[in-house]
Amino acid sequence: MHNKKLTKSISTGSLVALGISITSLYADVNAAADDAFETKELSQKQSQQQPDKKIMEGKCGEGRCGGNMQLDMKGMVMYENKDTLPKDCTEISEDITIEVKAGVEHAKPYPGTVFGFDKHQWQAKPCSRITVEFTNDDDIRHQWMIHGLPKYLYPEGMFHIEVNGKGKKTGTFIVPSSHFTYLVHCDIAQHVEKGMKAQLKVGNGRGDLPSIPGISAPKFADRFPKK
Amino acid sequence: MRHHRLPFYIFTLLLLPSISLAEFPTAPATEETFLGLVEPFCPETVDPTWRKQQLIEDVSIAPSPVCNPDNPYNIAAFVKGTNNVSMATMMQTQLSPDTLIKTNDIDGDGDPDEIHIRLEVIELNGFSPDIKEPITTYDIAPGIQPGFWAFAPKSRGMSNESFASTKANPLLRLPSPSIRVEQDDKIIVTLENSHYFPHSIHFHGVDHPFQKENGEGNDGVPQTSNKLTLPGKVFSYELTPRQTGTMVYHCHVQAHTHILMGLIGMFIVEENKPNNWVQTFNIGAGAVRHSSVAVKQDYSQEYDLQYQDIDRELHNLIQQGNDSRLLAKSYNREYNITERAPEYFILNGRSFPYTLRESMVVIKPDEKIKLRVFNAGEQQVALHTHGFKPTATHFDGVKLNPEARIQRDVFTLGPAQRIDLELYAKNDGLNNMGPGIWTFHDHNEAGVTTDGIYPGGHISSVVFESFLGPNGMPKLQGIDVSPFFTKEFYQKKYPIWNLSDENRHYGEITKTAEQKVEETEQDSSDMTQIAILVLQLTLLVATILIFRKNSAKSNA
Repeated sequence: MHNKKLTKSISTGSLVALGISITSLYADVNAAADDAFETKELSQKQSQQQPDKKIMEGKCGEGRCGGNMQLDMKGMVMYENKDTLPKDCTEISEDITIEVKAGVEHAKPYPGTVFGFDKHQWQAKPCSRITVEFTNDDDIRHQWMIHGLPKYLYPEGMFHIEVNGKGKKTGTFIVPSSHFTYLVHCDIAQHVEKGMKAQLKVGNGRGDLPSIPGISAPKFADRFPKK
Repeated sequence: MRHHRLPFYIFTLLLLPSISLAEFPTAPATEETFLGLVEPFCPETVDPTWRKQQLIEDVSIAPSPVCNPDNPYNIAAFVKGTNNVSMATMMQTQLSPDTLIKTNDIDGDGDPDEIHIRLEVIELNGFSPDIKEPITTYDIAPGIQPGFWAFAPKSRGMSNESFASTKANPLLRLPSPSIRVEQDDKIIVTLENSHYFPHSIHFHGVDHPFQKENGEGNDGVPQTSNKLTLPGKVFSYELTPRQTGTMVYHCHVQAHTHILMGLIGMFIVEENKPNNWVQTFNIGAGAVRHSSVAVKQDYSQEYDLQYQDIDRELHNLIQQGNDSRLLAKSYNREYNITERAPEYFILNGRSFPYTLRESMVVIKPDEKIKLRVFNAGEQQVALHTHGFKPTATHFDGVKLNPEARIQRDVFTLGPAQRIDLELYAKNDGLNNMGPGIWTFHDHNEAGVTTDGIYPGGHISSVVFESFLGPNGMPKLQGIDVSPFFTKEFYQKKYPIWNLSDENRHYGEITKTAEQKVEETEQDSSDMTQIAILVLQLTLLVATILIFRKNSAKSNA
């Protein structure tokens, strides 16, 4: 009771400004970044009134479609973009290839996780063209999904490779010029939470995302038993 | 001396209350309580065209006039198989191309007889190390999100609705989908374990051999027949069921918790008939929009009704942490089922009032409807239907001798039991008492509550078409139901009868200043906030110290 009153009086006291700055650290970096992209890109799109012809925006039900999708029994590559430059790029700065493996065996180095990528961070120059060679070592589905890309080029701001069981699929996308840290994950329920989270830093990036195995601490950590 | 003092003490004690009563006591005033945000009866996100009768991929899909019907494109794919529908139809679903493969008309009667079914295991309302709230969310009632595991038809793409939303995509929900197959078909069910715990499938009551042709186990029981299907692995079960009926499939790994977490659904074997394309999955159970040939001969409609009860203590364990070792321990070493006490009761994955959006039975006069009722919970269900006396035709999938059929108004189902009921809208005072909105509910009264709040639980209704309004809203003529569509009602913050109680006989009592202070202090005792404050303090002290040190240096 006494402690509560104490902390309360402090919070209402001289530390309010400091408190605000610290609390803002808790804001979701990704969500904020995505919003920034959305408003920017939307206004550009509205002013143009002529969306890029390469993008087909089909009518969708509860499935995700529109844009280009290569779907077969072995998986899919969604919203691949090999040659349309983002508006803020004049040319492709470099071509790089990322090789990623996914599966339960890759979670082993990180105790308490179950699903894993073999790498959790990649670096690319602004305006680079990135080819992802995604290998699934499990018998179930896994995804390499990146978020926060400009929505006028990539529906929902994402590029996505899904491999259905053991195998490999390759896809390519081009990043814009801004320095940014993009979220990469597998969006099958609990796969990101249990280890399949990574980041792509373009240019200087914009800090580390939380909860990446081997890279950053979780925002909401487990409570382990005390010795 | 003591003898003299005792009466004095007693007298003083007796006097005390009268002293306190000396001030005339008045009851506290009534406080005005306002409703929270009222959700619409039917969300605007629902596509109204889905309710209509339609033909997709030559599959006739029956109307489903409730607020939130099944996606008809899913149904077309579930009838034809994901290998036999167009890409355009697939794009209206979130199914994987290999979710359901139907081939090989072995007996040459016009329907496929080799059926490959793929199931994934998904978690709903689980933990996230990135956000405070649960992730891949699924609400059973306003603001209520217990953790669940469920089987789901294999899907493609994201489990969440979108990057901007943490809601589960509509294929991922409770209950695990009803699965329908045709008698004598060769069925291969492949479990793709996409979850972080080991799982299996046991076909309860379904005709299946103990071993597959290659000698591998086929009963799904770790102690006797099968190795664990670990995360990332797949396992195929094979069966050619010779007997028909309403049966069950469920996980048999750590069955005492995995079944109750939601890994259980109906497995229905339909009579072998020519041109019998059955609807292999029924997402969220409920109305079957493409019934089998045999069911259509006797009934105009068919509904799957799956009842479950939920012990919050078990279901919330997945929301307490992320580490797979801690979770394995909490589920298998710390949770004690013998101390179980359920708080939530769901019908087809929802509690009242959400049951009214999906699980109402809509009927016309003289219609005969088949209800497959399944108790997938741990408690008994005593199902009572207002306005009707249904007739039991099958117990646990076995057909009753017509002479032995039972007609009554309460049917009791123990755990895992099934009863097939015939609901006959013949207005003769026995089968039916005429048109109306007839509630059906568990008569174990806990079952009609949500964490002890009435009305909740698995209450639903049989509604005559003449009593059905736009967007599947029944033409209710009782009290205003808006409070039931608020989170506050189930958080116990809204007084009972408040909207009918003009004189405020039952309103909220005004809190004293002290009570209010206490409440706000409770709210502010959030661990994150305290952590921030501690951090603030440390930083401030550090800043002051550095400042002092620097100024001392510069002074020197």
